[in-house]
Amino acid sequence: MKRLVLALAMTTLLLAGCGQRADHATLYDALGGRPGVEATVENLMYRIADDPTLVGFFTNTNIDHFAASLEQQLCDLADGPCHYDGPPMDRAHQHMGITNADFNRLVGHMEQALIAEGVLLGARNRLLGRLAPLHGEIMRRQSPPAH
Amino acid sequence: MMTSPFLFMARMIRDALLVIALCLFAGQALAGSRLLATGGVSQIEGAAGGGLSPWGVLAGSASEGELAATAFISTAPLSDYTLTAGGIALNVHDRLELSLAHQHLALDTLGGRLEQQIAGAKLRLFGDLLYHPWGVWSLGVQHKRLDDGSLPRVIGAHDVQGNDIYLSGSKLVFAALAERNLLLNLTLRSTRANQGGLLGFGGDLEPGRTLVAEGSVGLFLTPRWIIGAEYRQKPDNLSFAREDDWRSLYTAYFFSPQLSLTGAVLDLGAIAGLEHQHGGYLSLQFAL
Repeated sequence: MKRLVLALAMTTLLLAGCGQRADHATLYDALGGRPGVEATVENLMYRIADDPTLVGFFTNTNIDHFAASLEQQLCDLADGPCHYDGPPMDRAHQHMGITNADFNRLVGHMEQALIAEGVLLGARNRLLGRLAPLHGEIMRRQSPPAH
Repeated sequence: MMTSPFLFMARMIRDALLVIALCLFAGQALAGSRLLATGGVSQIEGAAGGGLSPWGVLAGSASEGELAATAFISTAPLSDYTLTAGGIALNVHDRLELSLAHQHLALDTLGGRLEQQIAGAKLRLFGDLLYHPWGVWSLGVQHKRLDDGSLPRVIGAHDVQGNDIYLSGSKLVFAALAERNLLLNLTLRSTRANQGGLLGFGGDLEPGRTLVAEGSVGLFLTPRWIIGAEYRQKPDNLSFAREDDWRSLYTAYFFSPQLSLTGAVLDLGAIAGLEHQHGGYLSLQFAL
């Protein structure tokens, strides 16, 4: 038992050591800067387009405009040289009938897009941590889903 | 009554098929959208949780409008006992979890065995493991009944059935330690159970309920692999045999949303007069 505790403690310390390096760069850099974020968003768009559950939410959306706005938002959230000037999340998503299941699907696609674009686990976790609080804003003004 | 692990498995598979049939009958596909590992694994009493303690999350990956089902089989060979547990859980819309579990404790040194059935329900009160600032909080109940209460009665247990009521909260903190996600769990349980109920309920030292705390921490080294520690406080109702808190160091690996394997080292303290019950723990969970 004691040896295991020691092993766990050592692993944690080693991991903590690895984590230190990231402090010099912003999360935006870890996402690959502007080309990285653009590629991730493009990858995400294809995943949404292939998802019959989610694609319906975008039928009246200008995809180019949406992608540019999302890139700006991710850049802002990741401490990049951008300022998100799009609509607040609650207004942008109001009365769309988004369920938690829809939200989870989108987060799953985002995670897969980040992996596909070679973003490392640490940076993915940090980004998801910054996106997580948006859930409350996005879900605030949802009308009950139509059945 | 169970007589062998094979019968035990057969019954579990039958129960799992029953749940699937019910879901299909209800016209709903079994599919979940929640992210990998957010349903935890199955704790020994059948609820979604760690190994020893329930967590605030509900079983499987069901979210709003979705159903999920899980089945598990666990074994813990200890110094003088072997605990085997198995069961199933159904998650309805990530709001209600219903579970059935069976525990079999072979008294390797003393001879004989103890068995109990556990029916559980867990209601998600509010929140989300990942997205809510306070995490996810659930209220649960576990109805436990011993198959044969004669031995627990001999050593002073007052009852052969009892109900545990618990409040459980879980929160994932993103990039908390070395950019890895940290899972925190806290459970408060009101219980009369001796050794989780296997030694009956209530006793000469304390016939009534005791409020106990259970907690765990886990670090996701990768999205599939978590290591951590668990602690479960216990009541001490019987003068015949002191009861200790339970501790474990665990690791769980999620091969897919459908399959996870959990391993742990346990320190369960004294059980029925036999000191230092250490051992290993292996648990396999299937999810739909």
